[in-house]
Amino acid sequence: MAQVRVGFLVDTSRCIGCRSCQVACKAWNHMDADKTVEKGSYENPTDLTPNLYNRIRFLESADDRGNVKWLFMNERCVHCGDAGCMKVCPAPGALHRTMEGIVAFDKEKCISCKYCVSACPFNIPRYGADDKVTKCHLCFDRIGAGKLPACAQACPTQTLQFGGRDALISKAKAAGKKLYGENALAGLGVVYALEEKPEAYGLPADPSIPTSIFLWKDVVRPLGILGFWGSVAAVVVHYVTFGTRRLEEDGKGKGGDAHG
Amino acid sequence: MGKYVERFNTAERVLHWFVAASFLTLLLSGLGLYSRLFHGYFTLFGGGAGAILAHKYAGGIFFVSSLMLFFNHAKEMFSFDEDDRKWFRSLGGYLSKDPEHFNSGKFNAGQKGFGIFMGIATFLLGVTGVINWIPASFPRALVQFSLLLHGLLFLAFVMLMVVHVYLTTIGNPGTLDGMLYGNVRRIWARRHHPKWYKEIGGE
Repeated sequence: MAQVRVGFLVDTSRCIGCRSCQVACKAWNHMDADKTVEKGSYENPTDLTPNLYNRIRFLESADDRGNVKWLFMNERCVHCGDAGCMKVCPAPGALHRTMEGIVAFDKEKCISCKYCVSACPFNIPRYGADDKVTKCHLCFDRIGAGKLPACAQACPTQTLQFGGRDALISKAKAAGKKLYGENALAGLGVVYALEEKPEAYGLPADPSIPTSIFLWKDVVRPLGILGFWGSVAAVVVHYVTFGTRRLEEDGKGKGGDAHG
Repeated sequence: MGKYVERFNTAERVLHWFVAASFLTLLLSGLGLYSRLFHGYFTLFGGGAGAILAHKYAGGIFFVSSLMLFFNHAKEMFSFDEDDRKWFRSLGGYLSKDPEHFNSGKFNAGQKGFGIFMGIATFLLGVTGVINWIPASFPRALVQFSLLLHGLLFLAFVMLMVVHVYLTTIGNPGTLDGMLYGNVRRIWARRHHPKWYKEIGGE
């Protein structure tokens, strides 16, 4: 990487669930609000949409004595070092890594195959009405101009800390934080400091490229090249060793395929 | 007595070439989806989005025509007799230089196996193709497996296609006649499919 890899340190203990990050993201990226239904939770919307690149997950739980606890988690593309979406994308440049290590996308180059939707270990990419990929691009346009990503700029509690990834990690470690995503998938660009187990936040305990996707792209694909040329080679070898089945009885007189 | 006997009638031949043409379209439009190595093939369809569109149309034609071919010959394909077992035991004599002769019917055991595989693979490629097409409508794990299976079946398909083309052209001279003109030479029929040749009135 030519430049310092940038990223977020999401300190969930600081999050107050204000959702400024959601609003700021929508404002910067010119995305309309989604019409939602009130479901008895402050969580809204309840899932990422093509118009929502990041959101706060509200996780409510009550213990035996009726004490209610809230966990807040900023859900978004985590910009994996080894990104499943990039592994499967057949359109060069549609999903690409910037110099800062961000997994960005280019709708002009997206061919709408939707492979990235299935290959993401975190179920992040969404397709909108234009049938093109959307997800958090970490405001690579703002970063390029020396600004903070919109969500981080709007965050009033410094839950979303943006900067050089290594520096953020060592700072969080020095503060005794338990980190999620430091090494998984060649290091996530968005590292979380969690108060509970990852599962409590709806995060996979041990995130990895889905097995079927790994088999498809890292086993079947290379074997396919070998298989195709192998069968061509087998056919050629057969032709020059065992040979073709000439219709010998046909005889020379009657013409045809009989060899002389 | 003419030199030729009819092997495939016009309807059968047209159907076969529908399958072949849609297969070729699927291959060319799908290669770029299989690996970025083949990205250049997208240009044949005006880009990736065009290739995907062609893949969907060709997929529909292939699914229907290939399954029609399968069901048209299902009765012949699923009837394995002692002669077929003999064919399988010596792999049709293809790994021997001695001219072995098998008492095959209209289709030999290898062709029967090939046809059955084609039918099953066509069905599964169609089903997985639809799942891959609209992934949001299915559970993620199913779509992931479906992508894998589609790639795996494609690979098996292409490898068998190489063998199919070889065996029906230079591997067995005279075979292609049946699929191009409909008629094959009597000597060919007697040599490759003696049981069938007898059934249709040859000696």
